[in-house]
Amino acid sequence: MRVFEGLYYVKRNTAMHRLDPRAKLVYVLCITILSTAVFHTALPMIMLFISVIPLAVEGRVLRRLLSTLRGGAMLAAFIFIFNFIGRLWNIGFVSPSSPEFLEALMPSLAMALRFLTLIATFSIFFLTTSPDDFAQALVQMRLPYDYALTFTMAMRFIPTLAREAQIVADAQKSRGLELEKGGFMQRIRNYIPILVPLIVSSFRRAETIADAMESRAFGASKKRSFLYMLRFKLSDTLFSAICIAITAAIIWLRLSSFLPP
Amino acid sequence: MIEVQDLWFRYPESDYVLKGISLEVPRQSYVAILGENGAGKTTLVKHFNGLLKPTRGKVLVCGLDTREHSVASLARRVGLVFQNPDHQLFANTVYEEVAFALKNFGFPEEEVKRRVEAILAELELDRYRDRSPFLLSMGERKRVALASVLCYEPDVLVLDEPTTGQDHKQKEKLAELLQRLVDKGKTVVVVTHDVEFVADHIPISIILSRGQIRGQGKTLELLSNEDLLAETFLFPPQLTAILWKLSKLGLHPAPSVEEVVEAMLQARRQSP
Repeated sequence: MRVFEGLYYVKRNTAMHRLDPRAKLVYVLCITILSTAVFHTALPMIMLFISVIPLAVEGRVLRRLLSTLRGGAMLAAFIFIFNFIGRLWNIGFVSPSSPEFLEALMPSLAMALRFLTLIATFSIFFLTTSPDDFAQALVQMRLPYDYALTFTMAMRFIPTLAREAQIVADAQKSRGLELEKGGFMQRIRNYIPILVPLIVSSFRRAETIADAMESRAFGASKKRSFLYMLRFKLSDTLFSAICIAITAAIIWLRLSSFLPP
Repeated sequence: MIEVQDLWFRYPESDYVLKGISLEVPRQSYVAILGENGAGKTTLVKHFNGLLKPTRGKVLVCGLDTREHSVASLARRVGLVFQNPDHQLFANTVYEEVAFALKNFGFPEEEVKRRVEAILAELELDRYRDRSPFLLSMGERKRVALASVLCYEPDVLVLDEPTTGQDHKQKEKLAELLQRLVDKGKTVVVVTHDVEFVADHIPISIILSRGQIRGQGKTLELLSNEDLLAETFLFPPQLTAILWKLSKLGLHPAPSVEEVVEAMLQARRQSP
């Protein structure tokens, strides 16, 4: 569940928080392009990863970010191990001192680092952007309102669901359910009494919410008006321009082979 | 039976929800825990079967310290029925739902069958035996949840808001059932803000407000304490409210429906 901590918006008043979500999306997009399409080795990945940190400090969400990364570290380790084993399999298992071994190790490390860099980038976006602002940004980027709303509501219900899972677990434990009991398969089966009520009550809630929304005239008029509109300020333009300029420069340097792949 | 000694509790990264609670629920007693929303009622009873462990202080259940025993072993003695049945119903049929706890506690197959049939009959659920619990009404689902705990006959039964969503007839039946359990020697604790239900049926009450005990003792005495009720955001039972109004008119009937009606008629004759 720790991974999700990086998705909860934390209300603060910092420059990162005040930036228009669209400007922050430009940043996310830049890092995504650099880490997936432009670079493939460990060293640039580390540089990209480090570049995320000042923004987290500025947005005062560093602690949250670190706990997200701790949650993501497990997955990153999996990515690393499977990549590494896969590559070793292809070249045949070689001695750790041979250059082939390093050739299998470094790209696997890069893969794991790429994953962490992406998590960190997206996490900063969500930590400093309120779901409402994000939905509004999506709408102003011409995404149909229904889709934007679906997304905000999904985000809104993550904590609710987590709380509910706790209550359900408590209720079943009170009836003698022991999650840690039995072999591997039995342990998985132990979770059925928790998952079923959770899923059923989610469906029930979805239906109630749909009814409540319709009774408040959701979708009554084709053209919706909004109470708040996002405005792209000078600082947003500047931030986006800097992101694009740096990214373009890095790509140019890479293409002219001044930078490693 | 249940002994709470200076219990303080807080969830991680939050303020104290329970602040120095001390109380004792003796064997074979019938107790209500009253209090406004967020008073800490549910948090308190979750300590009774070890779901929550005290941050400070101690909770003893049948002499066992809850910090040293698993929920499963404590739950065998203290049955906790949650407020919302939808947080626990999961089986394909009402029968399986009720049998769940019995199987967890390792009752033999024959005994499971006998107990489930008996409790379904007692709670008038036998005709739903093979139906999905999800297709029942809210009131019925609540009874299935109750049956699924009652069936293993814990020494202490704790019910969280058992009267919500029940019509008057079902409330009366619930009251009868709980009284029967007390008569059989069980201890029953009811968490609620249904003041009328408590006034009519439960002799002893504990009033909780903002994580602290504000009053404990005989229900009727507590519920006629005007200052206490105002402080703890509780409304007096209707009969009590009428008694207060009548006493302002100089009439002091005994707290029974007949006497009050008599006094009201008298008040009407007096007024011009």
